Amino acid sequence: MNESSIIELKNISKRFLGLQALDHVDFDLREGETHALVGENGAGKSTLMKILSGVYNEYEGEYLLRGQPVHLHSPRNALDRGIGMIHQELSVMAELSVAENLFLGRQPLNRWGAVDWKRMNATAEEELAKLGFPDINVQHPLGEYPLGTQQVVEVLRVMLSGAQVLIMDEPTSALSPAEVERLISLIDTLRQTNRSIIYISHFLDEVLRVADRITVLRDGRKITTVEQQNTNVDELISLILGRELKTATISAPTKPGGSTLLDVSSLTADVFRDISLTVGQGEIVGVYGAIGAGHFDLARAIFGMYTYDSGAITVDGRRFPKNFSATYAIKHGIAYATESRRKSLLMDEAIFRNVTMPHLNRMGAMAPNLKREVEIAQPAVERVNVQPPNAMNTVGKLSGGNQQKVVIARWLAFPPKVFVMSEPTRGMDVGAKREVMNILREFRSQGYGVLVVSSEPETVLDVCDRIIVMSRGDIVAEMANENLNKDILMRLL
Amino acid sequence: MSLQTENPQLGASGAASTRVIAQTSSQIWIRRLTLLAPLWTLLALAIFFAIASPSFSRPNNLSNILTQVATLAIFGTGMTFVLLTGEIDLSIAAIAGLAGMVAAQVHLALELPEPIPTIAALGTATLLGLVSGIVSTRFHIPTFMTTLAMSLIAAGLNIYLSKGRTLTDIPPIAETLGSGRIGGPDGFRVIIVIAVVTLLIGYLILRYTRFGRYIYMTGANRSAARLVGVNTDLILILVLTICGFTAGLAGIVSMGRLGSAQPQGVDDFLIDTIGAVVLGGTALTGGRGGILQTVIGLLLYGTLRNGLDNMPWIDIYLKQFITGVVLLSALVVNLLFSGKRARDKT
Repeated sequence: MNESSIIELKNISKRFLGLQALDHVDFDLREGETHALVGENGAGKSTLMKILSGVYNEYEGEYLLRGQPVHLHSPRNALDRGIGMIHQELSVMAELSVAENLFLGRQPLNRWGAVDWKRMNATAEEELAKLGFPDINVQHPLGEYPLGTQQVVEVLRVMLSGAQVLIMDEPTSALSPAEVERLISLIDTLRQTNRSIIYISHFLDEVLRVADRITVLRDGRKITTVEQQNTNVDELISLILGRELKTATISAPTKPGGSTLLDVSSLTADVFRDISLTVGQGEIVGVYGAIGAGHFDLARAIFGMYTYDSGAITVDGRRFPKNFSATYAIKHGIAYATESRRKSLLMDEAIFRNVTMPHLNRMGAMAPNLKREVEIAQPAVERVNVQPPNAMNTVGKLSGGNQQKVVIARWLAFPPKVFVMSEPTRGMDVGAKREVMNILREFRSQGYGVLVVSSEPETVLDVCDRIIVMSRGDIVAEMANENLNKDILMRLL
Repeated sequence: MSLQTENPQLGASGAASTRVIAQTSSQIWIRRLTLLAPLWTLLALAIFFAIASPSFSRPNNLSNILTQVATLAIFGTGMTFVLLTGEIDLSIAAIAGLAGMVAAQVHLALELPEPIPTIAALGTATLLGLVSGIVSTRFHIPTFMTTLAMSLIAAGLNIYLSKGRTLTDIPPIAETLGSGRIGGPDGFRVIIVIAVVTLLIGYLILRYTRFGRYIYMTGANRSAARLVGVNTDLILILVLTICGFTAGLAGIVSMGRLGSAQPQGVDDFLIDTIGAVVLGGTALTGGRGGILQTVIGLLLYGTLRNGLDNMPWIDIYLKQFITGVVLLSALVVNLLFSGKRARDKT
C-alpha cells in the first residue's frame, strides 16, 4: 500500500443490465495530488466517479480511505468523510447571496439561534480572498455572477464543508478562456493547501497543465496511469483510443454540387459568436463540439427556438426574418430534433399522435380521425423501422432508439428541406445507431440537407460529408470528412 | 424526393393500418376504463346513498342534483380547458359575479333592451379572461397570479357598479336561463339544457378540433408542443378567454336562478368548480382528462352534497367536514384505481 494514498480503489467492477461498465479497475489518489481521469464517452469515467462520491454503492471490489476499507452509502456520507463532488451542471441557488451559497445548510448562528449574517459574510469574504477572489461581493445574489465565478463558489462551498478530496466533472466545458485560466490557478492554490483533486475533462491540453498523474480508461478497463511529465497529447489520444495515431492530411472542404439549402451567416448570440455555415442539397454537415461549445443552442437558433442577436439565416433562397418562430421555420422547410427526446415527445401518447403533431395544421381545422392519423403515421413508422412497427403503441414504452426513430418519422409525412438533428444517436445501442445513420444517408440520397449536431466524434465521423468543429462558441475548423479520425477532432477541441 | 413518392406506400399500408387499429382497440378500451376510475367511485357513492337514504333516489331528487350542478357544469367546462393546459383560473367566481351585475345594471340603469345586457355581460367576462391570458403570456407571469389579481379586479368592479346594493330587477333572458322551464311549470329546466349544451360544445372542441389537440399537447409537454411549431402562448390566451366566457355565462345563469345580482360573487363557485373538475380525473398538471371526466366529477360532487342533505340523521354542522373527508378519499381512490404511481422520484 502506498503510504501517502488518501483513496485507493482495488479491483472495482460494476455492471449495468449486462453491460460491464467497470472491469477490475484500480485507482489511487495521493495526498495533495491532482489526478485526471480521461477516456471516451462510455469508457467508465462517470461510473468510477459516482462510486468514488458515494452515488453508486453496489459494486465489487475494495474502497480504501486513508488505508481503511469504507463503504459510502450516499453523497452526503462521502462528504462527511471529506470527499466532495463538483457537478458539471452546477447546483447553485441563483437567488441566494454568494455567502448563503457558501454556507448552504450550515449557516453560522448567533446566540439567539438566528443566522449570524455578519460572521457569515465576513468568513465568506475572507475565504474567497484567500483563494484570490477578493472582489466578489458576497452579499450579491450568486446568479448575478458569470458561470466561472459560480464554479469558484461551488468549489469553495465543497471545501468549506470539509472536503479534502474534490471531484471535478468537466469543470471547464462551459467556461470562457479567461475563466479557464482562473480555474486552473485556483487548482494550483488548492494543491498548496494539500487537497487532492480528481479532474475529469475532455480537454487534454488542460489535463496536461493541471494534473500530476493521468489515468486512462477505455471500455471500462484501466489502461494505464501516467505521470504528467512523461506524456503528451498525442500519446494520451492513442492511449484513449487504443491504437497508434494515424497521421492524416486535413482536406479543405469542397463545395457541394447541389444548390445551397441552408445558409447561416455571422450568427451571434450569448453562447456562440459569428457562426457561418452552409448545408447543400444532398449533403450531411456535422457540427462537432464538447458539451458547452454552444452548438446545441446554434441548432435551436436555426429552428427559431433560441434568440440570436445578429446574423442571418437563409433557407433555399428565403431569408428568414429576425426572431422568426418555429412555426415559420417548419413552414419554410426546417425540421428539428432536440438532443432531449423527453422534451420532444408525448410519452404517454400513442406513436401516431406523436407523428402527426407537426402536421395538424395542414389537415384542416378538425383533428384528423384515428384512421386518418394512423394512415399518415404508419408508413412513416414502417419506413424508419420502429420496432414493433405499430403506430398505436405508447411512445413511453419504446426503447431510446425507437423513440428517436419516432422523432424522425414525425417529419416524414410532409418532408422538409433541411433536417437539423442534435445528437441523433445518443444513448442507443450499435444496431439502432446504424439504422438511424442509414436513415440520414437515405435523406441525403433523396436530396435533403442534413445538419448533424453532436458531441460524439463517432456520430459526425460516421455519417457527415463535411465537419465543422466548434469550441466554446467559435468555429475552430471546417474540413471535408476524408481521412479524418477521432485523433484530429479531439485535438481541435 | 417528396410527398409524391410516398403516396403509393401510403395507399399500400392502408390495409396494414386497419389491422393495426383492430389489434389494439381492445387495449385502448381497457386503458379508457382505468382512466374512468372516478366512474366507479360515483357508482359506489350513488349506491351507498340509495340504500342509506330513501329520498335520495326519487326522480325528483335526481333532477335536483342536476339542477344543483348545472351552474358548476358551465364553470367547469371552461375550467377543464384551462386545467388541461396545466394552468389555472382563480377569477371565475368573481367574473361570474361581475357579469351578473353588468347585465343587471345595463338593464336597470341604462335601460337598454335585451339582448344588450346579456351581450354586455358576456363581453365583459370574455374580455377579462382575454386580459389575464395576454398578461400571463406576454410577461411570463404564472396564471395563478394574474387570475388572482383579475379576481380582485372583477370583484372590485362589481362592488363599484353595485355600490354595495343587491339588485333584484334582473334582465328577462337571465331569468329564463336560470329558472325557466321548457313546456309549462313542470317542464324541463332550461338551466340543465344550457349546462348540457355547454358541456357538449366543450367536448366537441376538445375531442374533434385541431385546437383541442393543441390544448392537450400544450398541457402534456409544452416544449414538445413548441418544438412542432404550436404557438402555446396563443393556446393559453384562448383557453383563458374561453374560461372567462363560460364564467360570464355561469354568472348570468346563476343570477337568474337566485333572482338577484349580488355585490359579492359566490366565492364557493371557485373551489367547487376546481374540486369537481379535478375529482373527475383531469390533472392539475395538464394534458390528461377532458369533458367526460368533468361530467363524472360534477355528478360525483353533486351526489355527495345532495346525498348528505338527504340523510337527516347527520348533524348539519358536520356536513362540510364530511364532504371534505369524502373528497380527499375520493381523490386517493381515483389515483389508486388509475394505477398511476410515479417511478421517477426526481
